Amino acid sequence: MGTIDVYPYPVPEEKSGQQVVDTIQKQLELLGAHKSGNFCVDCESYQSNIQTATQQRLLHLFHNSEQPATCFSVLDSGICLVSDLLFEVLVLKLTEKKTGKECYYQQRKGFKVESKGQRYELGDFIVKVGSVILASNFRGILIEVEYCPCVIPSECWNLMKEFMQSFMGNMAENPPAHIKSKMDTIYTPEDTIQQYLEHFNNFRKATSASVPATPNR
Amino acid sequence: MDSTGAMGQVLSSKVAPVVENFLQGSVLDTSKDVLIHRLRGLCDNAENQPEIFHDHEIVFIMQGNPNQQPINFHARHSLMHPDAWHLRYLGVADIGDKNKLTLIRHCVDAGVSSNVVDFLNEMGFKIDFEFIAKGYFFHKGRMKVTVSKLYKILQPGSTDQVEPLSQSHLVELSVVAPRVQEQIGEDMKNFAEQLKPYILYKIELKLDHLQTV
Repeated sequence: MGTIDVYPYPVPEEKSGQQVVDTIQKQLELLGAHKSGNFCVDCESYQSNIQTATQQRLLHLFHNSEQPATCFSVLDSGICLVSDLLFEVLVLKLTEKKTGKECYYQQRKGFKVESKGQRYELGDFIVKVGSVILASNFRGILIEVEYCPCVIPSECWNLMKEFMQSFMGNMAENPPAHIKSKMDTIYTPEDTIQQYLEHFNNFRKATSASVPATPNR
Repeated sequence: MDSTGAMGQVLSSKVAPVVENFLQGSVLDTSKDVLIHRLRGLCDNAENQPEIFHDHEIVFIMQGNPNQQPINFHARHSLMHPDAWHLRYLGVADIGDKNKLTLIRHCVDAGVSSNVVDFLNEMGFKIDFEFIAKGYFFHKGRMKVTVSKLYKILQPGSTDQVEPLSQSHLVELSVVAPRVQEQIGEDMKNFAEQLKPYILYKIELKLDHLQTV
């Protein structure tokens, strides 16, 4: 585990998502990267239904194929719980409706979002080109770049920037917002999830803004 | 790659350990050493000193309107390794079936990061009660045997100021398995028989007593 930066990659209107993904992958292969399987980061959201609580809570449940036995739960306040996969069963307990009883949390329909695609390795770098899929519709592209030998973002930012610019152009001019605030701390898998959450939320917002008539969002 | 599907699969294929068979009893403090001696002989790794534990458990409750059933989560961590937290859901023990040799309840365990207390609070849970358990741990095959003394915490948040809850030790036999199996109950009953001279078995939930703390 090293330092990871996640960036959205724009899809021009005249091109399809798949075409852009193919172009990036081709560029990576030209650089000498080799395929090393698939990856997937997914997120389900649950809304609280507790009348006694002062405010409604949104709970995001994440999985990352890089940490297959772990489940990350992020509340909208930003606190992130890292746990075994079985924590999900505990959340299911809260969403369970017993006969005549109401549940405490309920899943938000049409809110499932995931980023999945090809994983590449190139020397000390791991690059993942992910297609973002929200409620089974393609919404955009996220590129994740990991530099494995270093866990302090500020120590390797210039190196990562140079590498990323070689195939992403000027997309990676600045560190991602979440990383910017903790450049000198040790990077953890939780930080990856926080970056994805930020991007996923942006995609969700963009979707609900462009399709205001959909009732289930 | 659909992980919720994977989770569903884990549950439906019955690989995840979610059923706990258990028996509970108590032994007077004065007879505890004899029991420990006997357990050392009966359980695995008899040549080693028994493993000790010193845990702090906080029981959280989620309560809503009368239409919502209260739900408890048990967060536990060792005071010897304070950062290792563990979260547990325990269902209600099935006491209706007299034919069952042990009590059986639904049980889900998950290791969690050390911010679990803040996380549960923000999720809407409230602290119901807390206690300290200190004692010995043995295992025989997949059976877990604990002999522990429970302490109540005099000042919330301070795990040093404690007072024993009773003059007895709690003895628990437990096997967590993916599904209900008759054989487990059989094995546990046979094991419990061998401790009978020392322990008074009760078919009751210890936590009911603790709630009055």
